[in-house]
Amino acid sequence: MKQFYNKRPSSALRTFFVLGSLFLFVGIMAFGSNLSIDKQSAINVKTNVVKDSVASVNAFKKVYAVLMSPRCMNCHPAGDVPLQGDDSHPHAMLPKRGLDGKGVSAMKCSNCHQPTNTPGPNTPPGNPNWHLPPADMKMVFEGRSPYQLAKQLVDPKQNGHKDMKKLIEHADDDLVLAGWNMGEGRAHPPLSHAEFKKAWITWLTTGAYAPQEK
Amino acid sequence: MEKTSTNNSRRTFLKSSLLAGGGLMIHFSGLAKFALPSGSAETHLIQLTEINGYVKISADNMITLICPNPEFGQNVMTSLPMMVAEELDVDWKKVIVEMGPHDSVKLGGQFTGGSNSVRSYWRPLRMAGATARNMLMQAASQTWAVPIEEITSKAGILYHEKSGRKGTYGEFATKASAIPVPKDVKLKAVKDFNVIRTSQKNVEGTKIISGKPLFGLDYKHEGMLIAMIHHPPAFGMKLKSFDASAALKMPGIKNVFSLKLYEDGFEQAGFDVRSFNDLLVVVGKTTWEVMNARKKLLVEWMPAGDVIDTMGGRGGKRDVIVPGALENTTAQLQKMREFAKKPAQQLRKDGDPETAFKNAAQIIERTYDAPFLAHNCMEPMNFFAHVTDEKALLVGPLQAPGLAEPTLSKILNLPADKIEIQMTRMGGGFGRRAYTHYATEAALISKKVKAPVKLIYSREDDTTYGIYRPMYTATYRAALDSNKNLIAFHVKGGGIPEHAIHANRFPAGAVDNYLAEGWAIPSNITIGAFRAPRSNFNAAAEQSFLDELAEAMGKDPIDFRLELLKRAKENPVGKNNEYDADRYAGVLKLVREKSGWTGAGDKKFSRGVAAYFCHNSYAAHVVDMTMRDGEPYVERVFSAVDCGIVINPDAASNMVQGAVIDGIGNSLYGGLTHKNGVVEENNFHKYRIIRMHEAPKTVDVSFVQNDIDPTGLGEPPFPPVFGAVANALYKVHGRRFYQQPFLLSKPDGPSV
Amino acid sequence: MITLNINKKNYKLDADPNTPLLWVLRDNIGLVGTKYGCGVAQCGACVVHLDGEAVRSCVTKISRAQGKKVVTIEGLSASNNHPLQKAWLELDVSQCGYCQAGQIMSAAVLLRENKSPTSQDIDDAMAGNICRCGTYLRIKEAIQLAAKESSSDK
Repeated sequence: MKQFYNKRPSSALRTFFVLGSLFLFVGIMAFGSNLSIDKQSAINVKTNVVKDSVASVNAFKKVYAVLMSPRCMNCHPAGDVPLQGDDSHPHAMLPKRGLDGKGVSAMKCSNCHQPTNTPGPNTPPGNPNWHLPPADMKMVFEGRSPYQLAKQLVDPKQNGHKDMKKLIEHADDDLVLAGWNMGEGRAHPPLSHAEFKKAWITWLTTGAYAPQEK
Repeated sequence: MEKTSTNNSRRTFLKSSLLAGGGLMIHFSGLAKFALPSGSAETHLIQLTEINGYVKISADNMITLICPNPEFGQNVMTSLPMMVAEELDVDWKKVIVEMGPHDSVKLGGQFTGGSNSVRSYWRPLRMAGATARNMLMQAASQTWAVPIEEITSKAGILYHEKSGRKGTYGEFATKASAIPVPKDVKLKAVKDFNVIRTSQKNVEGTKIISGKPLFGLDYKHEGMLIAMIHHPPAFGMKLKSFDASAALKMPGIKNVFSLKLYEDGFEQAGFDVRSFNDLLVVVGKTTWEVMNARKKLLVEWMPAGDVIDTMGGRGGKRDVIVPGALENTTAQLQKMREFAKKPAQQLRKDGDPETAFKNAAQIIERTYDAPFLAHNCMEPMNFFAHVTDEKALLVGPLQAPGLAEPTLSKILNLPADKIEIQMTRMGGGFGRRAYTHYATEAALISKKVKAPVKLIYSREDDTTYGIYRPMYTATYRAALDSNKNLIAFHVKGGGIPEHAIHANRFPAGAVDNYLAEGWAIPSNITIGAFRAPRSNFNAAAEQSFLDELAEAMGKDPIDFRLELLKRAKENPVGKNNEYDADRYAGVLKLVREKSGWTGAGDKKFSRGVAAYFCHNSYAAHVVDMTMRDGEPYVERVFSAVDCGIVINPDAASNMVQGAVIDGIGNSLYGGLTHKNGVVEENNFHKYRIIRMHEAPKTVDVSFVQNDIDPTGLGEPPFPPVFGAVANALYKVHGRRFYQQPFLLSKPDGPSV
Repeated sequence: MITLNINKKNYKLDADPNTPLLWVLRDNIGLVGTKYGCGVAQCGACVVHLDGEAVRSCVTKISRAQGKKVVTIEGLSASNNHPLQKAWLELDVSQCGYCQAGQIMSAAVLLRENKSPTSQDIDDAMAGNICRCGTYLRIKEAIQLAAKESSSDK
């Protein structure tokens, strides 16, 4: 799978492979055998953490499916250009991230992305705070394996210094919510926001285990 | 209206007015209201004397030159008046240029298309300048009572050296206008040109960069309403019924109605192409209100079934059946494959190609396909109309007022002299605006609502309600003998709904045994001219094939073409060969020199070369390609063009550079597909247009220097770009590309 | 009633607050230098400055523009003497000219933020502006020329 990433196939294909391997892994877990957990990925927080690696990894499976859906991944690209559309192609006209994640010069996100969705098909979806992660905290989803993404999400150095509380709060962040309100003609993430939030909190509060790399 | 000054400093507002006596032509610009800057302090009236349709002179020697042809970016508003100025002998920097109204008596054909503006006006406009100058000199000769031979001119001033007298053109304009137009006036020798062949800036440059109203969409008129058309969602559909009650309740909405473009049996002329005949129209106060109300229409559409178009024209009246099927792109391709196997119309035959192919040691056969293309003019189709029972005023972007007028006259039942057509600057044309059903629609809407109306197409309307470049295919075959000599050449081309084959063009004339055939599949998808019609496909297919052929023969692609051209010059095969083999070879040699072509390619770039002849001009390109972020990128291009005398060199280079970029974009990304008759690429999010970062870093343009009368330039550099890109793609990928757009196509392996 | 400040003038408008700024500029105010090209923020023909940012006015509602400063091509300079406008004329960039106002308005934001943009910087800033005539080479050259002229003015 790693090798596949290195070749950088089309993102649609990549997603397919990621999901495919994930399901395979889950299959193994379902039999309850050969369960391998990276101990270091469990975060220690005071609040309400009841470690349960099986539940945690299961919850992360759902989290991962949402985060790797176009509605979330498109703004967490591997490069400095966001992705676009249900097939996660590079955003037309190649807007660049910029230092603050809000674009550069004449190509700032908010030049097209309004505070609200623009009505009609094929128009820019909107949010007052529309942006990519900033250049010093890119929080890349695109191409990340479940293991990599799980580790990255809870690593304060990579997640914008978010602790457990802030991570949980982040499920209700404006831009996260925007993933479920992207205007006409765009597919929703595979779970509802409520389901996602539940999985997210479950994952975090059961120890935020990262599924082991196959 | 605000006139255009060539030096961009005189922003005087002019209006011609009636002068008493003197047999003067009266000129009044009907566009006056159009560009009238409200409350402009610069406004004042100036009397203009019309010497002829192209030349007007004020008493204080302000020279106004009239551009006859519509401007869509090919810069005729500068280059055509330059030709008048050259012979008139005026200071170009002080000349005012104005777009003429439609007036075929005074201003000639007025057709922007076929790269014909400069070519067709080359003599008339120089004659207009030269005769006007002669008339002014005659007037001075009479006034001063000196022989005309002793009078000289310089930059708008007449001199009689012997007596030391001088006077401006303006002083003699009134008198000159009464003098009969001389028949035999000598034109300047090419070597004496001092306006032509010097680079002059776009006369509307300042207006463009300051946002002045110039385009059809910018036109305003007292009491003007806005109209939009709701057309069937798919080719092959028509209106069944509609409920406008919700739309009519929307703010600003005046009227909703259905409209028939042509009555049954209406004899369509060649440019009266109609995509849909039953249209739903929403009329209101502002664009946004009309756009919103249109969304509230409840409409039922139904299959149109087969439709009969009654075609008029020279061949007499005939009925053409337009099939009603809802088309799909995959089925279209499949159908083309089936038709390609059937016998086709023979277009040209030299020698005995059948026997030659039978005896061939090697046959190379390749098939090329290209999709429908939408013009995607940046300014969507629009037109203003104010039609009353007595007369009609039409203002907007169109390439051929002379073609629009007879249709308007028939449909509005008004004599031609009651129809005034004014041409605005066009935000692109590319052939699209020669088909002015949108002007007819605007006229019918105005007539119906009894008000001045501007019809506006949304981008989606523009793309899905188009007059497209047809879908094409062609199979090329070449027969080689055992020594790898080319002994026969065969092209069989087809398309929906026409084929692209120019049977008498290269390599016809260069191969002993030659066969060209064509076939077509009828369709309800409307098609028309698109920048270098047919050529834009031929150059891609034929020039790719020649590249592959050269490789099979072990020859350098340029050398191979030059060998064929040598043959065509020294011992041409057949008759009616359209091209001049020397000039064709000339651009290849020039591009070879400029690009430093060494045959085997380049260390840094994958190189492709192609050349083509069309619209009486010759163009060749060398395209230097790399791979960048997984996509082919044309980084550098060398272009060589022979269009005879280049009127305005810098602007001509600009146009060639633009044609190259347009060609790269369309060959790599361009294409329009259909699903159940619906156009799938309805806006730029799906219809990919080349952008700045995808354009080459340099396009080095060279013109062959000669004194041949000027020929076309807007189109000729465009087609060979496709071939050069295809050939560079082969070098970069190591495999050939046969289907456009190349970026989406799956290259087939060699089929031999 | 909505009040808009456009090119330093205040306009009081009785228009639906959801109306795109583009159509208010063109239809209500009569400033037609800002062009309609696609209506979906794909082509850049409608770029104006909203508090200095190169917004696409076809998707920018007038409600967003309220209380902010709008500058259109007509208000970019006092007498068509913005360095970009001068460079555009100097290099005779335009062909049909329809997209050029939007191009200039985008480029103006680039030059304000980046006094000496590289070729890549220009690509990054201008990729949102389509020119169907293909004048990109000259647009880029004109931006570079304007940058040079601006810096040598100081």
